[in-house]
Amino acid sequence: MANLKEIQRKIRSVKNTQKTTNAMKLVSSAKLKRTEELAKQSKVYAAKITEMIDEIAANIAKQGDAVDNIFFKPVANPKTVDLVFITADKGLCGGFNSQTIKHVNALLTEYKASGVKVRLRAIGKKGISYYRFNDIDMLQEISDLSAAPTYARAAEFINEAVEDYLRGETDRIVVVHNGYVNMITQEIRQEQLVPVDPSGLVRGTVSTSELEIEPDDDDTLLEALVRRYLEYSMYYALIDSLAAEHSARMQAMDSATTNAREMAAKLTVQYNKARQEAITTELIEIISGMESMK
Amino acid sequence: MKTMKLEIVTPHGLIYEGDVAQVTLPGKEGEFGVLPEHASLVSLLDAGVIAVEIGNKKEMNVAINGGYVKVDENKVSCIVDGAVALSDEDGELSQRIEEAKELLKKAETSSTAIATAVGKVESVVKLH
Repeated sequence: MANLKEIQRKIRSVKNTQKTTNAMKLVSSAKLKRTEELAKQSKVYAAKITEMIDEIAANIAKQGDAVDNIFFKPVANPKTVDLVFITADKGLCGGFNSQTIKHVNALLTEYKASGVKVRLRAIGKKGISYYRFNDIDMLQEISDLSAAPTYARAAEFINEAVEDYLRGETDRIVVVHNGYVNMITQEIRQEQLVPVDPSGLVRGTVSTSELEIEPDDDDTLLEALVRRYLEYSMYYALIDSLAAEHSARMQAMDSATTNAREMAAKLTVQYNKARQEAITTELIEIISGMESMK
Repeated sequence: MKTMKLEIVTPHGLIYEGDVAQVTLPGKEGEFGVLPEHASLVSLLDAGVIAVEIGNKKEMNVAINGGYVKVDENKVSCIVDGAVALSDEDGELSQRIEEAKELLKKAETSSTAIATAVGKVESVVKLH
């Protein structure tokens, strides 16, 4: 029989844990709402910028030239691929980080099998510490961006990769992150940033009127626009990942709270049983003591 | 009076949306004005101030740090990296002006362009 005091202490500790997890759940749900709002607002920008890239690309095509901008050239056999992945800075969010890492590992083996060199660019403490522990080199590491994404820092991060791409040091940039679907589901998203897949752009919105372009060089303009688009994609991936992180944490903390509650109930039953047993033993002792005195 | 649609979008959301009578934009190759039924145009924008005439003598200024504008079918879409609206309606104008100056100073462009833009922002203070 477990000691009464010990059970009591256990109950107290479980109840304290329950309070903490419950508080974390509430915090996450509040943060999730804010992040969701942020994502919704920034989507307007995405819609506009794709529309504009589309129109300028169509305008170049209309003049008879093929769009041969470096950002749009598909590479049949890439030699080097830059893999950008986003994990959280903090744990306690269920399988959120490990799912991303698992996916990155799968990609690594896949590329290795086909003889492609992969360079990792990591965002988030969890992913960085995982690869450091496993002695896998990362080209770029940034650890406090995923908890508070800002456009400027996201742009700075991705531009390093884009510059490498323009210099021909890498043939492809892929972003992997765990994205937000709804309150209870997250899914791994893998997106190829460059070369830009032109089929991903919405066609058909192009107006018939002649477009006047200033400065008078649509290639420069297109390039500048695509750069913005890449910066934005990175920023959006970060927001999406943050929303997913909060929803994953909310879920994890919710089940932790439920588990703690069940545990506390079980322990209370155990405590009551033990208490009753103790009383019974005491009574028997008293009664048998009285009997022997007769 | 003829009007056209104006939209100013940043990665952080929509800054302004509405019908306006005239817009003056800080183009990379010089400032230009857009009136309703302007021909289709795409242009790079420098850091500066977008002056909006809403009509009925109502005006608004928006400080931006560079981006693009597309004029098409009576609609002006500005896609910018950062923007601060300097409208006269809210009481936090002085704070907004500080924000706008901060934004402009960080922009990656020539110092003359920034100085002109900051000057414009300051003139907004004097007007009110």
